[in-house]
Amino acid sequence: MHTRRLIIIFWILMAQLGGTVVQAQCNHRLFGRVTDADTHEVLQGAVVTIGALRLQVLTDSLGAFSLPGLCVGTYDIEISHISCGKVAYHIHLKGDARYDVQLPHAANALADVNVVGSSGSKGLAIGGQIKGRALEAKRGLSLAESLQEISGVSILQTGTNIYKPVIHGLHSNRVLILNNGIRQEGQQWGSEHAPEVDAYIANRLSVIKGASTLRYGADAIGGVVLVEPRLLPAVPGICGELNLAAFSNNAMGVVSGIVEGNLKKHPAFAWRLQGTAKRGGNARTPQYWLANSGITEFNFSATAGWRMAHKGVEIFFSQFNTELGIFSGSHIGNTTDLITAINSGRPVDFYTQQGFTYAIDRPKQVVQHNLVKVKAFINTGKASRLNVVLSTQYNSRMEYDVKRFQAVESGPQLDIGLLTTAADVVWDHYKGEKWRGTIGTTASYQANDYFRRFFIPNYKSVNLAAFAIEKYSTGPWEIEAGLRYDYRSLYDITRNNGANFANQNFGSATGNVSVNYKPGPRWLVQASANSAWRPPQVNELFSDGLHHGAARIEKGDQTLKAERANGLMTQVNYQGKRLVIEVTGYVKWIDNFIYLRPTYPPQLTIRGAFPSFLYAQTNTRLHGLDALVQYAISQHLQWSGKASLVRAWNLSQGDWLIQMPPDRLENALTYTFGGGTRWTNNYVKLMVTHVARQTRVPASGNIEIMKPNGSLEMASDYAPPPPSYMLLGAEAGTTVMMGKKPVGLVFTGTNLTNNRYRDYMNAFRYFTDEMGINVAVKVKVPLGKPLTMH
Amino acid sequence: MKKNTLSKLMFLALSATVLATACKKEKDDENEEELITTLRVNAREAGTTTTTSFLFRDPDGDGGAGPTRFDTIRLAPNKTYNITLEFLNESVTPAENITDEILAEAGDHQVYHVPAGVNITVNTFNVDAAGLPLGTTANWVTGAAGGFGTLRIALKHKPGQKTAGDAITKGETDIDVNFVTRVQ
Repeated sequence: MHTRRLIIIFWILMAQLGGTVVQAQCNHRLFGRVTDADTHEVLQGAVVTIGALRLQVLTDSLGAFSLPGLCVGTYDIEISHISCGKVAYHIHLKGDARYDVQLPHAANALADVNVVGSSGSKGLAIGGQIKGRALEAKRGLSLAESLQEISGVSILQTGTNIYKPVIHGLHSNRVLILNNGIRQEGQQWGSEHAPEVDAYIANRLSVIKGASTLRYGADAIGGVVLVEPRLLPAVPGICGELNLAAFSNNAMGVVSGIVEGNLKKHPAFAWRLQGTAKRGGNARTPQYWLANSGITEFNFSATAGWRMAHKGVEIFFSQFNTELGIFSGSHIGNTTDLITAINSGRPVDFYTQQGFTYAIDRPKQVVQHNLVKVKAFINTGKASRLNVVLSTQYNSRMEYDVKRFQAVESGPQLDIGLLTTAADVVWDHYKGEKWRGTIGTTASYQANDYFRRFFIPNYKSVNLAAFAIEKYSTGPWEIEAGLRYDYRSLYDITRNNGANFANQNFGSATGNVSVNYKPGPRWLVQASANSAWRPPQVNELFSDGLHHGAARIEKGDQTLKAERANGLMTQVNYQGKRLVIEVTGYVKWIDNFIYLRPTYPPQLTIRGAFPSFLYAQTNTRLHGLDALVQYAISQHLQWSGKASLVRAWNLSQGDWLIQMPPDRLENALTYTFGGGTRWTNNYVKLMVTHVARQTRVPASGNIEIMKPNGSLEMASDYAPPPPSYMLLGAEAGTTVMMGKKPVGLVFTGTNLTNNRYRDYMNAFRYFTDEMGINVAVKVKVPLGKPLTMH
Repeated sequence: MKKNTLSKLMFLALSATVLATACKKEKDDENEEELITTLRVNAREAGTTTTTSFLFRDPDGDGGAGPTRFDTIRLAPNKTYNITLEFLNESVTPAENITDEILAEAGDHQVYHVPAGVNITVNTFNVDAAGLPLGTTANWVTGAAGGFGTLRIALKHKPGQKTAGDAITKGETDIDVNFVTRVQ
């Protein structure tokens, strides 16, 4: 009987007006009431949407809604609420209909987050998200490429296959990625190590900017990326979704599918299987092919959940596999080779004339990531809930370099395995309407092993943390405050040659205060002040060697202290009838910011002299602005503009910080139009992206550059930042009824004018141009029968 | 029933964890395969058995400590020297002779000898199977005595790309050592 409560129950009371006579008039009304499936409270402010008609209403204080003026026909209706999940139904409307809905309470529901939030997983955190149609347009791309849609997020690139998200100029260890609620634990420190996440797993990608949340860990001084799958189905039946994508540039094809269901006999039990296969060949710049730039990916995941109103458990397993080629022409032996490559302006013919192939040769990366997690919750009394999350993940990274001799054995040169096991215990509690809070502890154990070339040592690590977050709401005000303490111990730090390193222990507190103020229905002002820290990572402490791709020697420093970031951030939202504005401003002071400090003289090796860098600390200030403006020019035409600016200043040295994203401005015009009943959700979009030249780079460094007049200059980089560029893109989407199935179609085109350009944030800008024109088609086919009402 | 489901799921998770950790790999020795730590230039004066050797040695490879030996090449004026190069990996015991591997895959490699500011002429390289220069042996002809200059020895790896008259910039650099050199 319990289980009954879980199911979304609805009644339709039909007031048939014309009996069997088909009504042509559009005077029918769909109405009903939305309640919380758990608490049975009525939900005010739930959004009821019929996308095809661009109709949207909010429920009133009694949870009631009404949509008048509907024709007889079939509609996709979607109901969502800010603190609940979203449900969608396909309905046949024959007359006035009543439609009562119980929404699963996602804010504290099992499926939402790891450390489940009473005040929503993100609390009052400032950020952005990408979902729905915007996400569908990004299907087939990597996680970071998809996230770039969010203002303030840029990408750090290595060639055409490796992308990392950059939030407000910070990346790698300073950005946390939560894959289905679990901290992604790979070799994140490497700038050429992409997150091992299948973006198809998500139906929403969210970014929390800065340290405005402390729920997920101390390191997140850049921000947090949440990869969120949708909730397990709560309605009996089996359904699914098939996604296909094809790209012209590198002949990449992607197939991704989801099948999910809910047992009829035991509706509390739900399951999901998901998988993605991807294969792409060599990419092409406007003038030449990039030899050995293919990619393959094969991922799958399985979820099973058993959920009652007051307790539940869910198990999730996922595996991510990728093999990706690294452009052959980027493999250089020494600085002379690098400067030769830079000066020649394009790779030597040998690499550019290899044409198209799917085959992947050395240099390449082969990465596998396994994750298993179990979540369980139990309600502890009427207004509180205990959540437990256990997870284990194993990351295997193998990097294959070009072999000097064919005769040598064929293993990888770099081979690292990282095992992480973690447990979270979190208690959510409510008190009246005004107070919500979360108290939690988390513990994890890590073991890193390397098997061949030394880059980072073997180590073991224990992380312990405890946090408390309380939120108080009153009238237009919401105030949230949180405190967290983290302790990290690194021990058993060894090299395979027998060397040992001293243990390292770090511990410190993170604090955060956020305020939301809603002066009116159209305005939301958010402000956050926080102080966060990040202990130095193993590569910063212990690395010692030649970074092959970057032609430089990097040395760790075992005396590094933790970084401390103190930040202020504010976001102003305005939602007008025609105008939408969202502006985020931030400033962050990072003391003991860990960076690679150039040292002199260069270090002599048998391959020649390499510039030498030491991990060092300095005080810095980062500030910037993200802006998003949308304006409805007419009912059908919308303009949107996006800007992201970052300024990163090395306070101790009075100079800019290197490798910060340049200013970026995006403009888009979207035209939406009707197409009858068969073609819905039609739109055409034109996009212009302008990326400025990065002029804010350190004035001098330790790299000797010969100037055209023959004099030597000590520069901070092998080549100056590339010039600004402008890209033209287009997108067109529709939903077409194929039989009874609404099939989603999106066509996208990037770099339509086939511009030659290079991007400052791409490590391969020394060697090659960026990808040329790339046209893609993405298809989404629903499988099975969506729930149908008669 | 409920407890059963819970414990079953927990068991599943545990076994998956065990599986994930069970597949441990063997740790290789620390040393990078194909490492070249040492370049030895053996110069035998033509018509004699007198051989002088000049070394560059960096036993721990790139990074770490700097080179432990970096000789200055000193040769007598107006003589011909038969040069034989040896490439060694001295990070392992016994030292590995990489020269043999270069000879075995001569068609992918080429050694350049580039004198600068010093009175030396280089000729008569050994060749690979295709008759293209290999350069692990060569003749150096010294001229009149003079001041300090340099002699650069660069080993290039260019699988599938080696052609006649290749510039030194072609291919990937495996070795690039610039010896201070004097004819005196």
